[in-house]
Amino acid sequence: MTWTVFAVAIFNAMLINNVILKQFLGICPFLGVSKKSSSAVGMGAAVTFVMVIASFVTYAIYSYVLVPYGIEYISTIAFILVIASLVQLVEMILKKFSKPLYKSLGIYLPLITTNCAILGVAEGNISNIYTNYGSSGMWLAVFTALGTALGFTLIIFAFSSVREKLESSNVPDAWKGVPISLVVAGIMSIAFLGLQGIL
Amino acid sequence: MLTITLEALIVPLFVLGGMGLLLGLGLAYAADVLKVEIDARIEKVIELLPGFNCGACGYPGCAGFGEGIVEGEVEQLSLCKPGKDSDYNAIMEYLKSTPGPDGKIVEVKK
Repeated sequence: MTWTVFAVAIFNAMLINNVILKQFLGICPFLGVSKKSSSAVGMGAAVTFVMVIASFVTYAIYSYVLVPYGIEYISTIAFILVIASLVQLVEMILKKFSKPLYKSLGIYLPLITTNCAILGVAEGNISNIYTNYGSSGMWLAVFTALGTALGFTLIIFAFSSVREKLESSNVPDAWKGVPISLVVAGIMSIAFLGLQGIL
Repeated sequence: MLTITLEALIVPLFVLGGMGLLLGLGLAYAADVLKVEIDARIEKVIELLPGFNCGACGYPGCAGFGEGIVEGEVEQLSLCKPGKDSDYNAIMEYLKSTPGPDGKIVEVKK
């Protein structure tokens, strides 16, 4: 595999098949942690860390443990185990080294465990990449996860910046807060539809 | 007829059990390395809160609110909307009777 394949995988996962706006995964932190752009970036970093490592580990476990023993059907529960452990690790690291970020993420940090975007990427790697490349597709899976995570960070940051501007703008009473944010999310999703079919 | 072999039952059990054991040991080690000393009262106050994680107090979840109370940021316990009078009294009594590591007592209104 050449670098072009990896570059295309990143570009595709980040912008064209964006995890939030195109696949509608990971909406919970997208709406929950997007009030302040600093905590949105923190959330993006935490998700990036968990997503990249989880993809690597789950792909390795799938191709070297589950397939040889013929027990592919337990992939979901095995993947959740890996993701939950990684989230615990991230929580400990943040608690130790960045108390303010830990506080601003609050309950949404342990909820990364059940963030469907991460399990979605891990399972998507298996169904899209493993079936085509086998165990040699590991790096492609990692780069796809990196692209997906960067796309998540980009969108949650853009969305939180819009929401910060909305705070000080003149919004009709009935639309204040979440309703106008949902409209913004919808418009962003339509805008990203324009990237469809580039690749 | 459906036949189930012993192997088909045991292999997934051992694979998942082994993974759980490895990850658990790793986490136990990480917890030891990354240990943070926290005020013991915070945990007790979080326990006394209703625990709905509703966010009505303005903090992200009950853990944040509990920490805010012990650190003296919170002015009124009634910011916690699902809380009842009995919850507030229990927290106030606990904080009155338990001084912190520096010997100071946290005062908070209902």
